[in-house]
Amino acid sequence: MSLADSLMAGLSVVASFEAFFALFAGICIGVVGGAIPGLSATMAVALTLPFTFTLQPITGILLLLGVYKGGIFGGSIPAILIKTPGTPASSATILDGHPMAEKGEAGRALGMALWASCTADVVSNLALILFAGWLASFALSFGPPEFFALILFSLTIIAGVSGESLLRGALSAILGLLLATIGLDLVYGTNRFTFGDPNMMGGLNFIAVLIGLFAIPEIIAMAWNPTAHLGKARSLGHTKVSFADYRRSFRSIIRGSLIGVFLGSIPGIGAAPSAFLSYSEARRKSPNRENFGKGEIEGVAASEAGNNGVAGATLIPLLALGVPGDVITAIIIGAFMIHGLQPGPMMFILNVDIIYGLFIGLIVSSVFLFIVGSVAIKGFRFVSDVPKRILMPAVLVLCIYGVFAVNNNIFDVGVMFAMGWVGYLMMRMHIPAAPFLIAFILGPLLEDNFRQSMLMSGSDPSILLRGPITWFFWAVTIITIVAIARNIRKIPRA
Amino acid sequence: MTLKGTSVAFAIGAVLTASAAVAEYPERPINMIIPYGAGGATDISARTIAEPLGNAVGKPLVMANVTGAGGATGSVAVQNAKPDGYTMLFARVGSHSVNPAMKATLPYTLDDFRFVTVYEINPAACAVSPSSGITTMDALIAKVNEGGVSYSSSGVGSFPHLASAMVMSEFGVADVMNDVTHIPQKGGGAAITAVLNGTATFVCTNSSSLASFVANKQLIPLLVTTSEPVVGFDAPTANDLGKDSLNQLVGWTGIAGPDGLPDDVAEKWGAWMAEATQDPQFTESMTARGSVIRLMDPVEANEFIQGQYNVFRKLVDDLGMRIEG
Repeated sequence: MSLADSLMAGLSVVASFEAFFALFAGICIGVVGGAIPGLSATMAVALTLPFTFTLQPITGILLLLGVYKGGIFGGSIPAILIKTPGTPASSATILDGHPMAEKGEAGRALGMALWASCTADVVSNLALILFAGWLASFALSFGPPEFFALILFSLTIIAGVSGESLLRGALSAILGLLLATIGLDLVYGTNRFTFGDPNMMGGLNFIAVLIGLFAIPEIIAMAWNPTAHLGKARSLGHTKVSFADYRRSFRSIIRGSLIGVFLGSIPGIGAAPSAFLSYSEARRKSPNRENFGKGEIEGVAASEAGNNGVAGATLIPLLALGVPGDVITAIIIGAFMIHGLQPGPMMFILNVDIIYGLFIGLIVSSVFLFIVGSVAIKGFRFVSDVPKRILMPAVLVLCIYGVFAVNNNIFDVGVMFAMGWVGYLMMRMHIPAAPFLIAFILGPLLEDNFRQSMLMSGSDPSILLRGPITWFFWAVTIITIVAIARNIRKIPRA
Repeated sequence: MTLKGTSVAFAIGAVLTASAAVAEYPERPINMIIPYGAGGATDISARTIAEPLGNAVGKPLVMANVTGAGGATGSVAVQNAKPDGYTMLFARVGSHSVNPAMKATLPYTLDDFRFVTVYEINPAACAVSPSSGITTMDALIAKVNEGGVSYSSSGVGSFPHLASAMVMSEFGVADVMNDVTHIPQKGGGAAITAVLNGTATFVCTNSSSLASFVANKQLIPLLVTTSEPVVGFDAPTANDLGKDSLNQLVGWTGIAGPDGLPDDVAEKWGAWMAEATQDPQFTESMTARGSVIRLMDPVEANEFIQGQYNVFRKLVDDLGMRIEG
């Protein structure tokens, strides 16, 4: 079948009002769901899944993909406006997005988030359409030793998001690693630090930790000193992003998109590490790196490109191998199965119409995302004009509701408040929260892949250097650490 | 208020009290807890039965995923609930026969639950990657004796973990714990990926999870554990290979309430399930996914689960797989 035939077959299944309406509705649901703190993109997709049971396969899948893409962008809205990542993937956006909002540039930051998201979305979709087969076979060469080396490299991001003091960043990261060890041990199946409480057996809920770490400290600070913000110039989120901004950040956006495509096509990493990696690379390459973390628009662009670049690429292992890359695609693969579709190499032969229908839908989704996102920004940016004393209690209510809804478990709400105090103390002592989060996400991955490698080799450490992929990541890890060490020495001791 | 009004109010009150007195279970929506994540096998199965079951019950079923710790978090939520029939659990082979058999530290035992039904049986299958060069169980066992064979699972104490150990033990591997290496993964998808990318040699799990990979020729099935062949799996059954005892090795989904669930509630569930499983759309979509619909009444379900638990428990004790820490 030629490409034109495939495209026509695809059009024949996708060219219906319902399919496009589902996609559009999905993006709307996703943006709103992502924008509500605590209601992450994952939850939005999970909540939408039952509605797809009765739809046509392509319509249902497009609906879910719309929610996914909308949710990943939507998460950046509260990240910028109220320093609360709507979805874990947008935690990196806080680093520069929220300082911009504090400076009264919320509109500009949101605009850049949207432009970067849409650009990355296009790049990611193109990668899926053009290189799915190639990237999928590359992803299959990632076993535990390769993962271990990649994650070891990713941990060097901590240096990039530590702010002024690397020591404080490292302290934060160690705390994150420590809390990430709670739960079941992967290899022995034994309980670690659960203190006999069944609620702790699954580990600390990620959303609860995330909200606790970022949103609650702001609220505590507000309650502690209700008038601190008065007299400071906030509000006026009416500034807009300019084309010059976009052009200046374009390199970072493309770099972030490619990082997203790369990490997205390897099952098991997800969007949050990609956003942080993209952010720290942008910071490293930028001439005004000093301004990163204080409201640099390029930082917002890099983070959002990094997380949206993942969205299309996670479909590569899903479609080409039948393997879910992260939690969200694990839900989406359920939708395929409900409709009797079997993702994998044969689907490109047996269900060409569906595959190309999805491709067409994905391309259209970038356009829809831009339209829906623009409208959402117009609506949401006024949030930054709402007085803090009204905004903060509302945020608190949303956070409690959202964290409870993740697992219908009141214990998680307790975790959120406990982490809130930890986060507040960290804020008071100028310990950055981002390294904590990175360690909390990557720590268990590092440990699990290390132990799996050791199981594979019978405890022979040479397996960690078993091929070119591991050599590459070991090399860049060493280069990065040397560069960080030299930077530290260059700064005169005060 | 006039006298007439008062009497009307009294009349209404009397009617309400009367109806409350004879009100039968269920008089309000029922919370149904799914102890595994959205899009997984349990979730899809639960949501497929939800519609016909909701019609049979006549009250809404509120479905909630409570995930974590291999199904333990959600199971504990139901264990601690009031046994009034308004909080019920979608129990699964992993959470209610493998986990209790393997983990000494689990916060619940089978006695904490009363099963009202088992409605779905999933045949299990073992598969390898084509690049391994293995095409039969005999070849796999020969390789085990050479050394260096490993299997993946969705975690310690999961169904694939026990299934692989049981298959190895039945096929005469002397020291299962040391001759084959267990490489646990996080989740069922990751377990299959580990076989695809060569991290592990084989995986034994529900045939429905493997179906797409077998159809796509990414994995070669070596064995199905049922006595009947499984559609789409070009592999011998356990009985063909003379290992009838492997027929015990099947996945299942059922519904349970806390221990102490009244008899009349359990009976009602039995009747509702009998009605719900008659739904043609339910039957069609379940069988299309490779499940076998096999409805058990409350008594039969309890016996089935207890029986499977005993088999698994004996295997775990014989192999020294029990997790005490």
